[in-house]
Amino acid sequence: MRNMISDAPRTTLTAFYWAFLLYLLLPLTLMMAMSFKDANFVAFPIGDWTLDWYAKVMADKQFLEACLYSVMIAAASTLAATTLGTWIAMLIVAEGIKGQVIIFALACLPAVVPGMISAISLRIFISTIDMPTGTAAIILGHTVHAVPFVVVMALTRLRSMPGNLVDAARDLGADSVVAFFRITLPYLGPALVGGMIFCVLLSIDDFVRTFFLGGYRPTLPMLIFAKVQGGMSPEINAMATLVLVVTAAVGLYAEYLTRRARTR
Amino acid sequence: MQPVVQFDNVTKSYGKHVAVENLNLSIEAGKFVTLLGPSGCGKSTSLRMLGGFETPNSGHILLGGKDVTRVPPNKRNVNIVFQDYALFPHMSVAKNIAFGLELKGLDNQHIHRRVNELLELVQLQDYAKRLPAELSGGQRQRVALMRALAPDPEVLLLDEPLSALDAKLRQQMQIELKSIQEKTGKTFMFVTHDQEEALTMSDTIVVMNKGKIEQMGDPNTLYGRPGSVFVANFIGETNLLRSTVVGTEGDTTALNWNGITIKAAQGGLAPKTGDHLYVVLRPEAIHCSAEEPTSGNRIKGKVRQRVFKGNHTSLSVEVADGAMLNALVHPADVAQLNGEEIWVGWKPETTTVIPDRHAHN
Repeated sequence: MRNMISDAPRTTLTAFYWAFLLYLLLPLTLMMAMSFKDANFVAFPIGDWTLDWYAKVMADKQFLEACLYSVMIAAASTLAATTLGTWIAMLIVAEGIKGQVIIFALACLPAVVPGMISAISLRIFISTIDMPTGTAAIILGHTVHAVPFVVVMALTRLRSMPGNLVDAARDLGADSVVAFFRITLPYLGPALVGGMIFCVLLSIDDFVRTFFLGGYRPTLPMLIFAKVQGGMSPEINAMATLVLVVTAAVGLYAEYLTRRARTR
Repeated sequence: MQPVVQFDNVTKSYGKHVAVENLNLSIEAGKFVTLLGPSGCGKSTSLRMLGGFETPNSGHILLGGKDVTRVPPNKRNVNIVFQDYALFPHMSVAKNIAFGLELKGLDNQHIHRRVNELLELVQLQDYAKRLPAELSGGQRQRVALMRALAPDPEVLLLDEPLSALDAKLRQQMQIELKSIQEKTGKTFMFVTHDQEEALTMSDTIVVMNKGKIEQMGDPNTLYGRPGSVFVANFIGETNLLRSTVVGTEGDTTALNWNGITIKAAQGGLAPKTGDHLYVVLRPEAIHCSAEEPTSGNRIKGKVRQRVFKGNHTSLSVEVADGAMLNALVHPADVAQLNGEEIWVGWKPETTTVIPDRHAHN
């Protein structure tokens, strides 16, 4: 009896943990299971199993094009965000610059502004400067959203960097450009790779900004959204399962990289 | 011969705080010179100014006769060994050492040969491919030293490079540093707050205090003939006897210390009766005995404290009301000093005198 009472908090915690895991994994598992169903509608029982939906998805030109488009946008916005983010992080740790706290706060703002607000304001902004909706606008939107994550990751790494590494490079004959590319950038490397993968995932996942800023060419989330409106079918489940597996793998790799960066 | 480094009336201040004040210093080529002083005395600032990381407010710094006061660090031919080594963590030992050579634009073959030559000098040939994180403290220290020596600087600057090492390793590195300096014939400018390090390695010690040079000279002179109370206290342990001159006789002076008359060498001063002087009496110059010594200064006293230190015993002897003398006693002589009352004695020529700057004569 005494044991049961003293064990209660622990038991409750374990129970919650399993409940949470179930809540997290069940919908995903159902979604994945349905993608193997040999029928035109999503409902139990599954009955016959098939891989036909995957074959159909892989042959779907629209899907492949949307994938390619998403990847292209992700690559472009990641490149832009990483460059900008690293630059802002360097500015924040640099000596003799005033208002570093304000720069940091501003750099982090896009991460906390609600997606909808950010999307609308960006839409108003691009129409003000007469920029057409479409690829460039989407890339701009995704870049703004991703910069804070790069800044924070780069900043964490920069702050752990011994201050005299750059001094030592300068002392040995490097000008500030050489010192940046040969010392600071390699030191930031692991954090930046982690940050970049994060940017890619944010961009691939983004719906709201893309919806407001996009043109007629659909990105992956927009395509899936359009297809869902036409009614659920196991084809969508197969599509979603593919996206899930790929992004989860990339995300886990990013986590591994940043973990390694922190321990080194 | 032209000095390799010259500080010409250099002043550096941060806001109201003056770190270095009107520093004039010439350093001869091929010497091991140490800037010694407590933290905040301006020694590191001086080193960083010579390295190019700080710009003086006024004055000039000359390197090999050329004015480098405003030349950036990458354009001047000096290299620093940093306190925490600052090895590039993502580069191997060999890459670290090669860094300065690559930036000089040397060809690969030349770089390779030079790196191997330097690794051999400190017996680290087998570690060329290791990362700094895989080395011990002493090994990192050696790599940092070789990296700084690689581009063949006119002067090698060392900013307290031994302070991160444990005591045993530090002593070993002191000897190694000195031997590398002798082998390479380079001018070393070493900064430390550790007087023992300074005494062990230096050809010349520059004692600094509050941004100014307090005294400069070879270790022997600074230890044996300190020019100020600060230097006497900072270098080694010492008994400082504040005394009044009662008379002079040839080159010795008779003084009154706490009612006791003692004799001391004049040490280049020409003291007059009534002057206040400090007599610098090193603990090892004092001879303790059970019997009264036959010559020299001798005082009867009571042993108040004995501290066993292994290779010697340190005695605190009260020789007058509250006036204490610290003496070192050799292990062989301790046995005969078991009583409370002993005699302390010393030869007048083993002491030196310092004027009391604060006294009103």
